[in-house]
Order: sequence, then structure tokens, then C-alpha cells
Amino acid sequence: MSKSKLEKRRKAAITEWQKLDKNKKPVIIFGTGTCGTAAGALHTMKKVKCILADLKVDADISEVGCIGPCYLEPLMDVKLPGKPRISFSNVNESKAEKILKKFFVDDEIPKLGLVGHFGENSAFNGEVPRFFDHPMLKPQVRLVLRNCGIIDPAKIDHYLARDGYLALEQVLSMRWEDVLEIIKQSGLRGRGGAGFPTWMKWNFCRQAEGDQRYMICNADEGDPGAFMNRSLIEGDPHAVLEGLVIAAYTIGASKAYIYIRAEYPLAIKRLQNAIEQMKELNLVGENILGSGFNLEIVIKEGAGAFVCGEETALIASIEGQRGMPRTRPPFPAQSGLWGKPTIINNVETLGTLANIIRGGTDWYTGFGTEACKGTKTFSLVGRVRRTGLIEVPMGTTLREIIFDIGGGLFKEFKAVQTGGPSGGCLSEEFLDTPIDYENLAKAGSIMGSGGIIVLDRDTCVVDLAKYFLNFTQQESCGKCVPCRVGTRHLVSILEKITRGDGEMEDLEKLEHLGESIKRSSLCGLGATAPNPVLSTLKYFRSEYLSHIRDKRCSAAVCRELVEFRIIPGKCTGCQACVRVCPTEAITGPRSEPHNLDESKCIKCRACYEICKFDAIAGDAIVIVSGDESISN
Amino acid sequence: MAENSKIKLTFNGKEVAAPAGVSVLRAAEINDIFIPTLCYHKDLSIYGGCRVCIVEIDGMRGYPLSCSTIAADGMVVITDNAAIKEIRTELVQLLMSEHPSSCLICGESVECRQFMKTVRKSGVASGCRYCPNDDQCEFQDVVEHLEIKKVNYPVIYRGHEAEREDPFFDRDYNICILCGRCIRMCQEMRGTGVLAFNYRGPKVRVGTAFGRDHIDSGCEFCGACISVCPTGTLADKVSKWDGIPDGQITGTCPYCAIGCQLEIWHKDGSFSKALPSNDPEVNDGQACLKGRFCMSEVSHHFDRARKPFAIVNNYWKEQTWDEAIAKASDALKDLKPGEFSMLISPDLTNESLYTAQKFTRLVMNTNSIDSTARLDLGGGLPFWAGLFQNQITIQSIKKSSKILAIGLDTRFNFSIVGVEMRKARNNGAEFVSINSRISNVAKYAHSWIRPQPAMEGKVLRELIKALDGNKVTKATLKNLLQDDGKSFDEAVNLLKGYDDLTVIFGPRIFKYSDTSDLTTTLLDLSNRKNVRVIPLYYGTNTRGAMDLGSFPELFPGPISINDKKGIKKIESSWKTNLPTDGGLTIDQIISGEKKPKVLYLVGAVPFFERPDCDFIISQDIFEPDFKVDLHLPAASFLETSGTLVNMEGRVQESVRVEELPDSVMYGRARPDWWIFSEIARKIGVKGFEYKNSAEILDEISEIADGFPKSGMITRELDTFTKTAKIPVQSPVSNDIKKKGKFLLIMQPGGYTYRGIDIRSKVEGLQILNPEMGFFINSEDADSLGVKQGDEIIVKANGVTGKAPVQSGTEIPPGTIYLYVPQSYGGLKDCRELQDLYNLKVNPCYAEVSKVGI
Repeated sequence: MSKSKLEKRRKAAITEWQKLDKNKKPVIIFGTGTCGTAAGALHTMKKVKCILADLKVDADISEVGCIGPCYLEPLMDVKLPGKPRISFSNVNESKAEKILKKFFVDDEIPKLGLVGHFGENSAFNGEVPRFFDHPMLKPQVRLVLRNCGIIDPAKIDHYLARDGYLALEQVLSMRWEDVLEIIKQSGLRGRGGAGFPTWMKWNFCRQAEGDQRYMICNADEGDPGAFMNRSLIEGDPHAVLEGLVIAAYTIGASKAYIYIRAEYPLAIKRLQNAIEQMKELNLVGENILGSGFNLEIVIKEGAGAFVCGEETALIASIEGQRGMPRTRPPFPAQSGLWGKPTIINNVETLGTLANIIRGGTDWYTGFGTEACKGTKTFSLVGRVRRTGLIEVPMGTTLREIIFDIGGGLFKEFKAVQTGGPSGGCLSEEFLDTPIDYENLAKAGSIMGSGGIIVLDRDTCVVDLAKYFLNFTQQESCGKCVPCRVGTRHLVSILEKITRGDGEMEDLEKLEHLGESIKRSSLCGLGATAPNPVLSTLKYFRSEYLSHIRDKRCSAAVCRELVEFRIIPGKCTGCQACVRVCPTEAITGPRSEPHNLDESKCIKCRACYEICKFDAIAGDAIVIVSGDESISN
Repeated sequence: MAENSKIKLTFNGKEVAAPAGVSVLRAAEINDIFIPTLCYHKDLSIYGGCRVCIVEIDGMRGYPLSCSTIAADGMVVITDNAAIKEIRTELVQLLMSEHPSSCLICGESVECRQFMKTVRKSGVASGCRYCPNDDQCEFQDVVEHLEIKKVNYPVIYRGHEAEREDPFFDRDYNICILCGRCIRMCQEMRGTGVLAFNYRGPKVRVGTAFGRDHIDSGCEFCGACISVCPTGTLADKVSKWDGIPDGQITGTCPYCAIGCQLEIWHKDGSFSKALPSNDPEVNDGQACLKGRFCMSEVSHHFDRARKPFAIVNNYWKEQTWDEAIAKASDALKDLKPGEFSMLISPDLTNESLYTAQKFTRLVMNTNSIDSTARLDLGGGLPFWAGLFQNQITIQSIKKSSKILAIGLDTRFNFSIVGVEMRKARNNGAEFVSINSRISNVAKYAHSWIRPQPAMEGKVLRELIKALDGNKVTKATLKNLLQDDGKSFDEAVNLLKGYDDLTVIFGPRIFKYSDTSDLTTTLLDLSNRKNVRVIPLYYGTNTRGAMDLGSFPELFPGPISINDKKGIKKIESSWKTNLPTDGGLTIDQIISGEKKPKVLYLVGAVPFFERPDCDFIISQDIFEPDFKVDLHLPAASFLETSGTLVNMEGRVQESVRVEELPDSVMYGRARPDWWIFSEIARKIGVKGFEYKNSAEILDEISEIADGFPKSGMITRELDTFTKTAKIPVQSPVSNDIKKKGKFLLIMQPGGYTYRGIDIRSKVEGLQILNPEMGFFINSEDADSLGVKQGDEIIVKANGVTGKAPVQSGTEIPPGTIYLYVPQSYGGLKDCRELQDLYNLKVNPCYAEVSKVGI
């Protein structure tokens, strides 16, 4: 009954989707994920409505999720009748007006902010580049993100039209053992960071004794600089939910939780909306599609504790306890939520499932390396030219990600931090390492959930380690001693070094303490917390040494180690710096080189910035660390 | 695996046995193998926070925690080697960097302890003593075991202010090592959840929700958290500086009928502190604030009457015991029946109660002995005698699948039962509460039925009717409930089809003048096969008092005054004839209906003013507030031994802790039975040649069923004491005057011990300030224009009372509550409530006005 209803709906959806392609009216499409919204997409959208009214153009406005290149946000696509979408970047209100006037008044394709068009290359006779030929997008393989930025995430019809829930239908007609076998063959490993084989975990749970099992989707993405899960849920919530139902079916769970940070309001809204739509089509609830399988999905909002991404802490949080990890064994697969067998999978793992079922294991294992199959999404951020959400096959090198997809850096490459605050900081020598769980671990970092933070020579690695350690320290739940007290001492030693009070034995202390925290912590948070220190000590030891021995910070970041100087030959005495100095440290008559009184200087950088960008002289003020000028 | 099956495992090359299913750490603990740990506690769940208990186990990667690894047969464990020690040292050093550590690593500490015996709070020349737990600290033990002499990390001082505002115990979270034991104790064992971790990262600390004080957080002040604290973070105010105690004796708590077993610690011959004993039969390692904290201040109070006194030539003069006994015998001999009456507290030991009634019946030749317990036993003695026919146990509560609690608040009184009920709830029991007022039970109950005040009995009757399958109409319920009946339906759904129902009722509902519905329903329930009725009442040894004849109508053994055969048996045992008079009851004496010439008050002070008598003897641990002719100082629970019967009918030992010589300082208090015997001997009556309480118990065991011989007392409840059945009397109807718009509801107070209200002696209870004065609804208070603590005048049924008022939203609008203590000793401030206390109608209508208007 309900199956045929779904069939009917899908047919209608496909027709609708095709109709969309042969639209009679122009369609203006905005990327209104959190990234687009933050960049001002909603303001632009509001303005566009007015412009269209002014121009007397009858056009539809549609919203999609994040398509990836966040640095181009807000992205606005214009789809003229019978033509594919054309994407424009960084569209603010005035730019939107120019673009639309060009389209609808001048009847031309504007060049302003043009990124490319969707669809086949022949569409515009080569006049306009293809969107997916963009250097950031071309090397990517989009399986998990296939719908992100393409479909309207608020419409289940869009998802259905693009083969949505076909995999679920197929799974519901199979025995759970067979589904498990497919996942086993696919070689899928947990995308939350640890890379444990998904089928094996499921199997433990399925084999565990218990009348009730629980399925949990871990959407508590808390790493600074990571947003893969958020973007996926915002852009394609049904992909995650379909995976959730498939997983619940396979492990035999009748209740599923989505544990999501309350800081992701849009993602939560998308999920709530999607679950309501699923209920209408009997994709969740009692007797799903007549298969006899029941599943209830509950959204549980987390209160923003980083540690609640750890599975036992997450379980405690759902139970209404304080989010504190507990000792394992027993593992959640044996005794998890309310003491029942429980599986916790990351958003991306679940987002992959339907692809595997639909595409088959042979197709899926075609991507990736021997040990790690498939693709992985990353959030590429930091001092890289093209930031955003990307998806590449496992085994792609860091160099390809940073220099091809990311377009390289503005300044000289220094390091890359993978895996967020729990990960390690890798130097140039690892740029050609193919990324998978094992290789990153070998290098002293982790895959983590997939944040890639690129650093250039303006980043001080000691300061970076201090930043991450401070983060883990603040987010430690306080339960186990090494994590609670150990990280605190790590931070205080790092503070001492960045202050210029470091001693040589501090390095030993850091290593010793770091190792002992790793060895004896209760959960993953503590066990990986020292990684930023240990990896930077390993690959950037000279920088620590120069902080300690030479009292020099080569990136000119550590305030106590730098001095501001005026180069008399360059200074024209324009007095711009005198005006901005808050402590009257700079003095001097007009048109004569100024003096900087170091005893009064608080190193606020105001003079430096104004001299660099505004002042007549330019670059007359330099930051010096350890008797060496390093800034320009 | 069977519970008692054993496994074998090897610790450091030595093979040992352990029960299956325990952790490696517990297996080591059982076999006296020391594995250092700080957060593990055998009674609490596994935590794994301190990481110090790491071991090496063959076939396991790294260093597993022994606390969270289940011991398996054939396991090979290394508990200590260089690598393990290094990791442990590192961890403990990290902890030490957060913990003031001069007590741990000071080079002088060994010598210092030897010479430092002064008890002071601040550092003095003889050594520093800022932590009450010095030398009794588990953290010190671990540091010593690991031979740590220095800390490689800078010291982090948290800078918390020590918390001393709450009663009974102090908290200094600067020395807390965040092991979480107190929290687990509070959440898992007590089920109260007052304590939790607050904040994250370096700011983590133990505390209450929103940093409120413990009083407002619902703390029961049971002190269980203190018992498990490995450091000196939590310490009880009274005994914290006592140092290491000399030893401990297990005895019964003197304060209520639950009869908790306590480990009573003593130092230099004097009581130090009482901790709950891990007695599996009654309290299972838990206690309430009375047993845990209130013993010292009552027994050691400066006001204690420790010497005999008498009025000599109009002066209140100290007497020797010989003089005092002579005075008593002069006053008592040659009295006719009806001229003498003894009122006795149910808090005395069996031995003293037995001797008292024997004294009255043999020496005074009358049945005029009555117990103040009668004031607490609402519904009448026959009802209670009926309830006591059936065996009940406290430990059965946690096993039952349905629980119905009526008129019960377990925050400060009966908190052991509260703990057991929460255990049952956590085991999956359905839990319904019937209470006209909010109580802590309502927080844990699945459904809370709110009857109109005084309608609890009728609601119970209707509930049982509904459970029995009868229809209960909305119209019937309408006048009985404060809400629309939804909770009633909920409760019916929760409890219906019960096959194992535990009904627990508290004393709140038995002060009402009409208890007929309650008594009939509860008696009916108590006789059903699948129902257990557990009565909670005030009066420590009330059951002993009933079984040993502290009432005119009851004789020792299950013998009532109508039981001619039974009385014959006693006569032959005592070799004399027993009096046949009806005796005077306490009600007759309080109301002034009967006026005995000589009144003998044994731990009973049911008056504010001296009653109209020729001669009054008081025999108690404190002197009453009115003039008496002779005061005989009784030994307190710490100074005498004996037995008590708890609510289960279990005979338990009350032990003597203090055996201090007669002196100016310690006084000359004597056990009650000794005083009775001396007077009897002086008068010249035989049968009182007791040398110790054990001889009396032996005599009791001959006469009364269920009482063991001395030295034969066991913890198991093989047999319970028997109470004589008494025929039900028809209830006395009272004249109710319906005047006033407030409903005055009187409830029994729960802090009486012998003749005093212990709130007057224990400072902590004064801070908690429970049950003092009137309680009214906040809105009513506003409309009357009274603030918290203002005095109000309440006129009801022709009498007037004046006292301060406390208001709260939890009091139903239109009602005014007043707690009635059973003894008035120490309650001088409540003198103006006397007439209300003695009111025979409850509830009744009352007029309320503010003082000064």
C-alpha cells in the first residue's frame, strides 16, 4: 500500500524534476546553507526579489544547500528557460543588481563573478565554463555530497527524483545479514575519525543479546574548523536519514536518535522537516513501506560540549546525565544507551550507505585505496586560497587537496593540521602522503572527522599548539586525571614558552607529559589531546628551540617575543602612527622620522597596520623578533 | 554463572580465588592484595577516573584498569612493577599539583605527626593541621605507597571558599581530587542526586545545581557523601577534629523505629561519630541526619541533667543517689491505686520499659502506666496491634514491583525507607504517592494523588476499590481530590493487577481525629496475601512498649487486660497477683480529667506547665521546663545498653559506648531500669534484684514471645516480637465548631526523643528549621499581610495559639499547618501553642490574624 504510494510520489517527483529542467520561467537559486547565509545570501535574496519586481521579471526563487566552494559565497545561480544553471560568486546586493540587469535588460550573460554553468559542455557553446570544471571542483568525486547545492533540501520530492530512498526500498526487501554483507564488501569504515569497519561494529551489536537496540547518528560536530556534517545535513538531510533507517534496519533497532549540536539550528530545522516528510510517506514509523520494520527517530539537541561527540559521553547525554565518557568495555555495541546494544555512526558514514546500496560494492570499491575504500569529505580551511567543503577519494594526497583543489596558499606553506584539535600538525614532507586512516596515524596525526587547516609562515606552531591545547583543556569533562590536569600543565608550559620564559627542559616535560596523557586517558579526547604538541614538537622542533633559546617567534605571533621598530630611512613623518598609538609610545614632529618608545609600547599592532595599508610611507614600521626583521 | 561460583586467578605469581563476576580490583581487595586507587569504591559503580589502579594482564594490550576489567578464570595479573609504578606516580603527581600537598610530602611529616597531638584548626608550633583527615586519608596512603617525595609540576590552587554555611558538614573543595565518589553515592545509592559535577575543564568541581546551598537543593544531610570521601574535603562539623578514633562498636540508632545499625566510633572513652553500618538486614550502609549527626549534641549537651536533684526546703538541691532513692520511695510508698500514674516514653530500652511496668504493677499495685506513644498511635492501639500481627521487612521494599506511599516525606525522617523506595523505582517498580502536601516522595513517584487535606483515608479507600475492580465515579472523587482526578486514574493504571504491592504510610495522616477509613482500609490491606503494609511511626521502641506492657490495657507478652489466661501466666512467673484496675491514661491526665497525687514522668514531658499534682518525679536525660519535686538523671543512649524493638518487630541491641566514671564533669546518670529497681528495693518489694540489663532481657524472654535471651540476639529476622490483639473501641465523636476560613491541619512532629524535642539541642536542626511554627500558602500570607517569620494568631475550636509563620507555594491555599511534638521539653518558645497542640479535633476551621492587628 504505502510502497505503491511512494512509487506514485516518486514518478510525480521525477516529472516535476524534469519539468524544472525545462522551466518556462527563469529561476534564481541561492545557496542558503549556514555558509551562504553567513556570507549574506539572505540579504542578497531579499534584494533580488525587489530587483526582479523592478525589472518586471517573473522568476522563481529557489534555495539549495552548500555546494562546496565556501570562499565564493554567496553563490547565486541563474537558470534561464531551457538553459542550465549559471553560477555567480560573491554576489552581494549591488553585484546582484548588475548581474540581473545584464541578463534581463541587456540579454547577455554577465562576466561579473561568473563561475560556470551546470550540465553539458555544449550548453553555451563553450562561451561559459562548466561549473564542475572549476579547479576546485574538478578533482573532486562527489558521492556523499552528490545532492548538496543541487536539490532543495526542504523538498523530499527533489531527493526522490534523484533516486532517493531506492536504496531503502531495496534494503527492506533483504535479510539483514545480506545488507551487512554488502557493507562488509564495500569496506566502509567509520567516517567519524577512528575508521573502525562499520560492518564489524554493526555485527557486534546485532549479535549482542537484548530485546531493544538503539541506532544513534552522531552529528555533534565540535572541532574548530570542521563543518562537513553540518553542510551535508543542511544540503541533503534525506541522504543521512535514509542511511539512518538502513542502519537501524540492519542492526535491528526500533528507535534512532540524532544527536546534534544546538548550535546547528538550520540543520535541526532541515532534519525536523525531513522527518515529517518521511512520516507522510511511511519511510519512518510503524511498518515502514509494509516491511514490518518499525523505527522512531528522535532528534536530541546537544548543549555544545565537545566531549559529547565521544560516543559514551554522547550516550550519557541522551540519557540525561552529564556528558562524561565511561570506561570501555563494555562497548556501546554491547551495552550502550540505557544499557542496551547501541550503534553510533557519524553523519557521513550514514550519508554514504545509500550510495553503496544503490551503486553496488564494485562501483564503490572503485574509489579509494586498498585499505580505505570510498571517498571522504573534508572542510578545507586556513590560509588556503580556496576554502570550502570538498569530497575526494581516499588516497588523495594532501598536496592535491591543498594546491590543486585549494589553489595553494597566499604565502609560503608551513604546515597542515588534520583532524582538528585532536589531530596533528604535519610538515611539508607529508604533502605527498596519500590520505587514509593508517597513513595519517603513522605521521602522528589522525583523520578525525575531516577538518583540514592549512597554515602558512605567519602561523606560529607553538601558538597553534597552545590554541588547540587550550581548547581541549577547556572542553575536558574533568573526569580522568591525565586529561583534566595533564592538559592544564601542557597549556601552562606552552604559555611559558610563548611568553619567552621557556627552558630547554620544558620540551622534555611536554613530551613526557604528552605521552603519559595519551597512554592513560579514559577517552579519545584525552588520548588525542597532546597530538598538536607532540606533532609540532616532532616536525617543528626548531621553532620551539628558537622560542626558548633565541626568544624569537619566526611568525611574529607571540607578543612577548616581538618588538616594533620604525625604520628611519623609510619613515616620512606622516604622523599616522602617532594618531593611532593608544599609549603615546610614538612621538616625533611632522615630516621627521618618528621615535618609538619600547617601554610604552603595548604591541597592539595599530601603528603597524596603519603604516602598512594607509600611511604615506608604507612599511616603515616593522615587527622584529630576536633581532631579525620578519615582517613586510 | 551461579552467584557463588568461584574463579581462580593469579596476582603477582600467587594464585587466589574470587567470586565470579567481580572486577580485578575487587578480587585483589578480597584477597588483601593492595592496588592503589582513589575513585573506586566497592559499593559504587565503576568510574575509572583516577586511572591509578592500572595493572598488567597477560594477553591484554597496555595497562587496563583493574576496576573496570572483570576478573576471569585463569587471568594472570601483575599489580606492580617499575612501568606501572611510573605511570601511577605520574598520575598521582598530577593530582598532587591540584591538591595542597604539605601533608603528603613534607619532610617533617613523620616526626610531626608523632609530636602533634593538639587539636587545632590553624597551624601552630606543633605542626600544621588544616585538613581534618590527616592520617586517615586515602590519598595520603596512595602517595606513601608510591613513595612520592616531590611534585614535578607547578601547584594549582583552586581558590574556592570553604563552604561552612550548611548544617552538619563542611566542604572545602580545594582539596577535592574529583574522584566523584560523593556524587555517585548521592545519585546511585541515595537516589537523591543533590551533588553533581559542575562546569568543564579546569573549572570542574563538585557542587549542587546552580550553586545553591544544600538546604535548598533537597539535600537529606544523610552524610553518606562524607563516608566515601577519600580526602578531607567533606567533614562533619562535630567530630572533624577528633583525629583517629580509638575504636568502633555497632549498635542501634536511638532515634526512630527503623532501628538503623550504626558504627559508633569513640575516642578517649567518649563518643566521636556515628556512621551507618553495612547491615544488610535494615539500613544497608545508609542513615539519616538524626542518626548520622544528632547523637553527640543530644548526649553531650551542656544542659544535660547528670545529677539527682530535689526540692529541699524550697531549694533545688543536688542529691546523692541514696538520698534521691529515699526521697522517691517516701513519695511513692503507701499510695492507693488511682493516686499514682507513670507516663513513659517509647524511646526507652525494652529492659527499662519492662522494669517500669513491673514497677508500676508490682510496687505501685496499679495498671496506671501509660506511654506517650499513645499520642503518636493515631487510629488507636487496636489498629496498630492489628498491623503488627503481620511480618514485614524494610529490605523487602526494594524488591517489590508496585509501591504506594501515603502521607510520607522521607527527607529528614525515615530517609532509609526513601532510599529503599528509590531503589525499587530504579529496579522498575511503579511508584504512587498519596499526599495532600508536597513531599520529597512526590519527586520520585510516577504519580502523585493530591487529596484534600484529611481526605487521604477516603482516597485510599477509593483507590483500593478501583484496584479491586469496582467503579469509582468522578463525583465521588470530586470532593476528595485537589486536582481533576487525572492522577488518580494514572495511579489506578500503574497499580492495577498488582501481585506484589508495598503500602508504606507515614505518620502525617494519623494525627487526624477521624481515621476510620484509613484504619479499616489499611487493616484490610495488611491481611491480603500479596500486600505488605509498612507503617512508619514516631517513637523508637513503640513496638517494644506495646509488647512489654507500657499501657494500662497491655501486659508483657502478647497479653491484653482481657486475657485472663495470659495474666495468670505472668502472675505465676512474678509470683504475685496483678492489679485489675483500668489505670489512668495519658489523655485523662493531660486533659486534667484525672489527677493522680504522684506523677512519675519517665522521659515523658507532655506538658508545658506543671500539672496539678502533689509530687512529681521526673526521670530523664534533661530536666523538664517546669518545676518538679525530684529529678532522677537517666543515662542516655550512649551511657547504657539494652535492646530495642524496631518496626519490623526485630529485637536489636543498643550498645553502651561511654563508660565514664562518676565525676563532677560526667555526672552520675543511671540506666532507667537501675533507678526503678533501686526504688523498688528501697520500698521493699522483691523481684527487682537485677545486676545488669542482660538479666532483665532473660526474664523478658521467659514471658514475652519473640524476645531472645541475652547473648542470643541475631541479626536475622527469624522471629519477631508479638503484639496482643486488642478489641476495637468505638471512636469518640468530637464537637467541631465551624468557624473561620482556614483549615487548620495538625501533623505529628518528628524530632522528639524522650522528653525533649531534639531540635532544641542540635544546632544543625535549628538551621534547617523544619516543622517550626505555622505553615501557610504564600498567597494567603500576602493577603494576610504577613512575611516569613511574622507571628500570627490562630483561633480554632475556642482556643488560641500564637507562633511565627512560614509560607510557601507548596502549602495548599486555604490551609494552615502546624506540627505537634510529642514531648515539649526544650520547646519553651512554643508555649503559646499548647492549647492548639491539645486540640482533639483535626482538621478544624480556624481564624487567622496577624499579631498586632
